[in-house]
Amino acid sequence: MTVAIVLLALLGSAWLLAVIEGWMATGRLSPAAPLFRGLAHLGRESIVPRSPDRVFFEAAPVLLLVVAVLGMAVLPLAPDLIIADLGTGALFVNAALAYVLVAVIMAGWGPDGAYGMIGGWRFLGQLIAYSMLIVMPITAVAMRAESLVNTAIVGSQAGLWNIVYQPLGFVLFYIAAMALAFRAPFDLPSAEGELGGGVDAEYTGVRLAVLRLARLTLVVTLASATTVFYLGGWHGPLLPPWAWSLIKTLAVAVSMLLVGHYLPRIREADLMRWCWVLGIPLALLNIIIVGLLILVVP
Amino acid sequence: MYAQAFFVAVFGLAAIGFGVVVFRTSSMMRSALALLFSMTAVGCLFLAMQTEFLGVLQIMMMATEMSIMAIFMVMFMMDPGGLGGMDMSHQKRFSIGAGVSAAVVAIAVALLSDWGPAAEQVVDAEAQTRALGMELLGRSMMIFETAGITILTAMIAATAVAIPVQNLSSKDDKEASE
Repeated sequence: MTVAIVLLALLGSAWLLAVIEGWMATGRLSPAAPLFRGLAHLGRESIVPRSPDRVFFEAAPVLLLVVAVLGMAVLPLAPDLIIADLGTGALFVNAALAYVLVAVIMAGWGPDGAYGMIGGWRFLGQLIAYSMLIVMPITAVAMRAESLVNTAIVGSQAGLWNIVYQPLGFVLFYIAAMALAFRAPFDLPSAEGELGGGVDAEYTGVRLAVLRLARLTLVVTLASATTVFYLGGWHGPLLPPWAWSLIKTLAVAVSMLLVGHYLPRIREADLMRWCWVLGIPLALLNIIIVGLLILVVP
Repeated sequence: MYAQAFFVAVFGLAAIGFGVVVFRTSSMMRSALALLFSMTAVGCLFLAMQTEFLGVLQIMMMATEMSIMAIFMVMFMMDPGGLGGMDMSHQKRFSIGAGVSAAVVAIAVALLSDWGPAAEQVVDAEAQTRALGMELLGRSMMIFETAGITILTAMIAATAVAIPVQNLSSKDDKEASE
């Protein structure tokens, strides 16, 4: 039952994001558009490029979808609405999302296309930039909760949300999450107009439909992770816990789309430089500040 | 208990199977990712044996490490896609001998060692993580810190060696041309 509810919430959120994405792109609010676009993909020919690495080509979109769902499986919507409340939940989110890289590299290499391959390897460079900014803020979150269990992390924010307790960590995690989801302005692997779609370029038909769904699901999973780690998860007045989780998750996800809509794409070298020269020292500073707060404030 | 033994066997065989693929393919990408999935299977093996932290850590670390290894393999091999029919193996007789004898030794150690009684029950994952943290920051701290510093030193040294010394070489060139 819990599995069905969480998957339904994930699918519903992905649909809502697709509607908003379409609204921002076309200026028309059409709730049925994602459904029709999905059906259209299913109806189109699913072209296989010449001499592909068939295993990678077929597996990549599915792997991306699976890791996004696996990440969501350990994030709680409410105290008892979680598929698996692992003892190492916060680490597991990381472990699942590390395979986004594997999926993107496979999607880049598989079709035997120049644009796709450049896109795939670009994401490897992007990982070198963002990965520390995912792990180190989560470390500080786990320090406060004194646990890697995600429900305990939400529980530790009952009095004060982490966005107030460690705002620096929130900013770093939010930026890194957008880079992980390769949304604009960090959409270097799929750069439209520059790489002609990059890793998406060679995918058509049903495979493209799965890839699109996977990318939207990934945004929802990362927004949910942001909610659990920084926005107090299910905590909130009046409404039931699951409603608060959903509202916060959707708000974060929509904010990611909006930020991406108004910012120009960043250069790979700039992203790397900013993440390493500024991001990692700030993340270390965040860990030190949180450590001091834990020691000083009872 | 039977379910646990079943999954240990499945992931163990998967690890070996992917390990074989590493050497059976000519594509550097397939080779690297087969190694990744072999390592992931080992991580799942840890999970099946109820050592959750180690399992999740293994699964997480290997994804990035093997992907980074993949790009180096693609960069340095002449035929990264494996489409040129190049034979990438060498010293075949020696390799087969070494592989077989290593396997025999490993199996002998596994069979002949006295492993003691199997644990009937293990503490839950959260308590394990806590105990591991206490171990890493207590008794084993010096060992891990030493290893960490050594690896960091090696990384800095490797980077330093890889950067060409531009000033010196340009000076040498000038002297040579004069």
